[in-house]
Formats: sequence, structure tokens, C-alpha cells
Amino acid sequence: MDSDSLARNRLAHALFRRRLPWPVPDWAAAALVVAVAYYLAAHLGFALTLKPHPTSTLWPPNALLMAALLLAPARAWWWLLAAALPAHLAAELQSGVPTAMVLGWYFTNCSEALIGAALVRAFVPGPFRLDGLRSAGVFLACGALAAPLLSSLLDAALVRWIGWGQGDYWTLVRLRFSSNVLAEITIGALILAWAGAGLGRLREAAPLRHAEAVALFAGLLATCLLVFDLPQAQNGLAPALFYAPLPFLLWAAMRFGAAGTASAIAIVTVTTIWGAVHGIGPFAGGAPQDAARDMQLFLIAMAVPMLLLSVAYGERDRARGEAREQRRQLTHLSRVAVLGELSGGIAHELNQPLTAILSNAQAAKHFIADKNAEPELLVEILQDIILADQRASEVIRRLHALFKRGDTLLQPLDVNELVADVLGIAQGDLVARSVAVVPELAVSLPAVEGDRVELQQVMLNLVMNACEAMSPATAPEERRLEIRTHAEKGEVLISFVDTGPGLAPAQYGKLFEPFYTTKAQGLGLGLSLSHAIVCAHRGRLWATPAKGRGAAFCIALPAIAQPR
Amino acid sequence: MSSAQACVSIVDDDMLVLRSLGRLLQSAGFAVRTFSSPHELLESRGAASPGCIVMDLSMPGLSGLELQEALARAADPRPVVFISGQGSVDTSVAAMKAGAVDFLTKPLDDGRLIGAVNAAIEKDRAAREAHAARASVEARLATLTKREREVLELVVAGKLNKQIAAELGTAEKTVKVHRACMMRKMQVDSLAELVRLWTATRSPATG
Repeated sequence: MDSDSLARNRLAHALFRRRLPWPVPDWAAAALVVAVAYYLAAHLGFALTLKPHPTSTLWPPNALLMAALLLAPARAWWWLLAAALPAHLAAELQSGVPTAMVLGWYFTNCSEALIGAALVRAFVPGPFRLDGLRSAGVFLACGALAAPLLSSLLDAALVRWIGWGQGDYWTLVRLRFSSNVLAEITIGALILAWAGAGLGRLREAAPLRHAEAVALFAGLLATCLLVFDLPQAQNGLAPALFYAPLPFLLWAAMRFGAAGTASAIAIVTVTTIWGAVHGIGPFAGGAPQDAARDMQLFLIAMAVPMLLLSVAYGERDRARGEAREQRRQLTHLSRVAVLGELSGGIAHELNQPLTAILSNAQAAKHFIADKNAEPELLVEILQDIILADQRASEVIRRLHALFKRGDTLLQPLDVNELVADVLGIAQGDLVARSVAVVPELAVSLPAVEGDRVELQQVMLNLVMNACEAMSPATAPEERRLEIRTHAEKGEVLISFVDTGPGLAPAQYGKLFEPFYTTKAQGLGLGLSLSHAIVCAHRGRLWATPAKGRGAAFCIALPAIAQPR
Repeated sequence: MSSAQACVSIVDDDMLVLRSLGRLLQSAGFAVRTFSSPHELLESRGAASPGCIVMDLSMPGLSGLELQEALARAADPRPVVFISGQGSVDTSVAAMKAGAVDFLTKPLDDGRLIGAVNAAIEKDRAAREAHAARASVEARLATLTKREREVLELVVAGKLNKQIAAELGTAEKTVKVHRACMMRKMQVDSLAELVRLWTATRSPATG
């Protein structure tokens, strides 16, 4: 896998550097990696061959070649196929097969990789990623079914024509076809899944994930060795034992994606065939051809659904993650929008203490320069400077808490405290717009569970909306915002009642729809996001006309503890 | 020095800022009074004493601009220096049009604040002096009899005694007596001086 992803990187590198006069060394490096891997894969194929069966149970070089083509741009394909020739010759000529047959096999192996890669690319353009049900389906249908079938028809014909193999044409087709299908599903999928997942993800994962992976693969390996590679497994229980690796495969599919599942399948495949080759395990004992067929059917029947399941899980997890990220971004966007609306007020909130600090310091300087500084006066000045400084830090702290981007953090919250914090943040705007705040906060409220930042953002949004509704529509002396909190039927209610012009009856129904706005410069996201946030807290947010004039916005949140 | 008697009234709803500005202006040698709301300032009836007002533009209850209007209605002549944390062009233009001496943004530069306060106090002093001079002329005018007033108006219009006598239908000698009385009451020695006083009362009020 590592060598393959290295090859992929090299290929990509070469693509980006194609304007250089010598792109060849990069292709050569990728091709060399493929050649070495092809040679090793051929030896693995020999090792997994049931003697004196002429065709390997699992023939990995073709699958490796196809995976390399799928990861590389089409213009690199001929380099990679050419690189496989010396590796093919070096591996096959040791086995005493006639040279014509060896060359014929090279031709049919290349044809399989080419047919598969071309068909897959026709449906899924660009470098292949095993990351969705569609791409997995295309790979299984074209790469693991059509390509082995077509190349096996060709291969069997060549074998008959050269006259080297035994058996009739259709037997040859069946033998080669099944060993190549198994190789594509195990080795091909393994390479493609790991190339897509990347090794970087392994390093980023949490220690607990590493521990889980170790537990999974150790358990799977132990189970497989026990079931397939020990003599005592050859008893009446054998068919039932075939299911022993299944829980591990499901575990891998649900928790470790396509790469984890393909790795688990590879472990099952190698241990199964290794046991049969060495005459142990449930598949040993019968005729080699029957054993090979049984193993291939068993492994293919297990691998295909597991691969599809892992891909489907991965797709669903990704969709969920994207939805979560989208909501996070929207929440942040609306925070930034609120920040924009607030910025005038924030400047005022910071300017006040800064002014006090500067003027106090300058006064002290003048007093001292005029030798007019009494110690008591200087102490008073310093005391005021400290107070002003503390006030400025408090403004910064509240803003930081409000606009810090982070994950939702549920904790017990005092609603009155939230209201006080929000009023502190909005103070500048309330004053600038001459809005008088009338808080009526219940004395002993039960706590609610929620995210402090998100709930503050909702309240701030309602306060800012009320300010904008009243200024300039309402005369300054009548601009009043009543904020009431009280507990009722296991809920904590917070209402914001303004004395603005109110809303038309038709508007109340649409208020919480995204992109609905009554403001000239509004985004129309504030209330819909607020609604989403309150709903995520299992609460309700609604609007009603206020008594007299204006509008009332109410939040109801489930209480978590009874008041003392 | 006039600024020694003049008093600077500071209005800001933020106690920390109010105290710091008070200290800063005290350290520069001004007499200072502080008010934490526009209503306190209006109720203090400080219009009679010389000085100026330094106030925050945005305060709850009554905004700075509204307070400026209220002062104008109360015939408080004291010049206003506005300070603001968030000076928009619109509000500063409105403030300056309504007669503000200066418009400073927080945090304040002490040099600029002291300069603005000095300019405001100077403006107040000049206005008060002009007002006082005019009031004294008006007082002198009020002591004239009806006939003396008629004579005065004709004299400053450049008429000779003979012409005045003809116009008023009296003897030239009588006009001379009225004229001498009028000059004495107006406390002037020359015609030129009389004309200057007279034009001063007729020119539009300043300050």
C-alpha cells in the first residue's frame, strides 16, 4: 500500500511538473514501484497455489496492475504496463513454463488490467476513489467481473492454442476467471481503499482508535488462524466455524471504512488459502480444484457484501459530517453577522474604559508635573484605572465567549445569568438606540441544559431585532424592551417584548423560515438559525403580538432541576 | 486669567469616564463640575456663570443633540464640546451646525480636549463681553427721554442741528440742549463714539 500510494504521489507530481523537459524520471520511479510490486505479487500467487493445480487460487498481479492503472492518469498507463513485463518474465520464467506461454500470459494479464481500468474510468472519470456505493458498484461490475471474464476468454484461447495447459476451454476459463475475481475483490479493493484513505489519517487518529484497530485485527487474526490454520478444526463443527470471522468483518465495515474492511478481508483470504495450501483447515483434504472453487465462492460471497456495507457506512458518515459542518459554518456566519451589527456598540463599550484609563493617566501626569499630586488623589486615579481595565477585559471576555468557534458544549445554565451577559454585550447598542431595558427576572429559576454560546447568540439576536424594530420606528422615550424569565410546567420561559410597530399577522408564520427577512439589509438567517438552535435544545421559539403594540418573542427550554 | 473663573460642566452617564475627564480638566487648571445625566445639568441652572459644557453624545434618556436643543431653548449660552465613542459624519455635522465648538472622539487626546475647552471658554467670554457691552448701551439708551432719543437717531443719521430742528419743528438752540443731555447720558464725548455704540446695538446678536 505504501509503495502504491508513493507511486500515486509520484504520478501526481509528474503531472504537475509536465512542463519540465524531463518528466521521465518520475514516471520511471512510479513504474519501478509497480514492477517490484508485480514481482512480489506473482510470488504471493505462487505461494497460494494448490499443488498440482495449474492456476493459483488467488492471482494478485493482475489486480495490482489494474489498481495501479485506476490510480494513474491514462497517459501513464503504457509506462506502467511496460514496467510489468520484466517483472512478469523474472517471476514466470523461473517456473519452467514455455516462453510463448509466459508472453501470452503477460498479454492477457495486461488486457485484464486495461479492460477493467478503461471500463471503470468510462463510468467514474479521474483517479479512482473507493468512497461511494456508485464507485464501488462500478468497480465490482467492471473491474471485478467484466474484466476477468473477458480476459479469461482470451487467456483460455491462448492456452489452448499454445497447447500448454490441461483441461478443456471452458474449464480453463472458469479456473482463471474465479481466481482473478477473488484477486480483484481482495487485493484490488485493498489497494484502492488504502490509496483513498491515505496513511496520514492513521497518524491523526486518536489513541483509542488505534487500540480499537489493534483489538479488531488481533481478534480477527487469532480467529482466522484458529478456524482455518489448525488441524483440529477439521471436525463436524467446520461449517459453523466459517461464520467465526463474520463479527470482526462487520466490526470493520461499521467502524473502519473500506480500508479497514478490505484489510480484514485480506487477512481472512490469506489465512484461508494458506491453510488449504498446507493441508490444514476446513478446505484441506479434497481435490485441489474443488477446494479452490469452494474457497473462492466462500471468500467472494463474504467479501462483496462487506465491502459494499463499509462503503455505504462511510458514505452515510460523510454525509452526516458534512451536514454538521454546514450547520457549524452557518452558526458561525450568523455570529459574524451579529458581530457586524454589534460592532458600533462594541467600539463604544471598549472606548469608555479606554477613555477613562487614558484621561486618568494624563491627569496624573499633569498633577505630577505641576508638583500638585497628593498621594490620596493618585491612589484614587490608579484605582479608577484598575476598574476601567477590568471592565475592558470583561467586554473582551464576553465577546470571546460569544464568537469563539467551537463544538456544542452542553452544561447546566442559569438563564438569568445568560440574560445578564447578553445585556452586557448589547449595552452599547441599547444606549445608542435609546432603548430602555426592563428586566423582570424570576428569583429562583431551575437550570436548563444547553450550550452557553449558542443560547446567548439566540438571545442576542432577539435583543438586536427588538432594537432594530424600535429604532427609529418608535419615539425614543417609548423604546422599551421587557425581558421576563419564569418557570412554568417544567420549562423555563424567556420572553422579549418590544414596543416597536409589531408584525403583520401574515408575517408571524414565515418569521422562522430561512432567508425570510423584514430588514432592508438582513440576511434572513438570524431567526431561522435561532429556531434551529432552540429546537436542538429540545425547546421552542415562537413570536406573538405583544399587548398594546410591538412583538413578543418567547423561548421555552426544558428545565433540568427543581429550584431549591 | 478668565479660564480661572470659568467653570467646565462635564456630562457623561459613565461614572468612570466622568471622573477621569473631571480630573484631567482639573489637572489642566480648570474649575470643574460633573453631571451624570443631561437632566442634572438642566436642573443646575448654570447658564449665568461663565464657562462651557463638555458632554457625551450618546446617553440614555436624552441624547447629546437633544440636550443641545434643550440648552438653546433654556437660553443657556454656554458653548458645547461634544465627545463621542462612535462619531459618525452625520451626527458630527449636525452637532457642529447646532453650534458645537468641537467634536472629539474617545479615547480623548488631552491636548485636543484642553485646546477645545479653552476655545469654548474664550468663545463664551467674548460672547459674554459683547453681551455685557450691549446691555450697558441698552441701559444708557433706556435713560433717554423721548425727544433725546429722536435727536440721537437723527444725529447718527448724519443730520445737522439745523436740519434736526426743522424736522422736529423746534428751535436749533433747543436741539443743542437735548443733544448735550443725550451725549452725557450716553457717556460719550464724540459723535464717532456715539455712532459706534449705536451700530453695536443694531448689529445682530452674537454668541
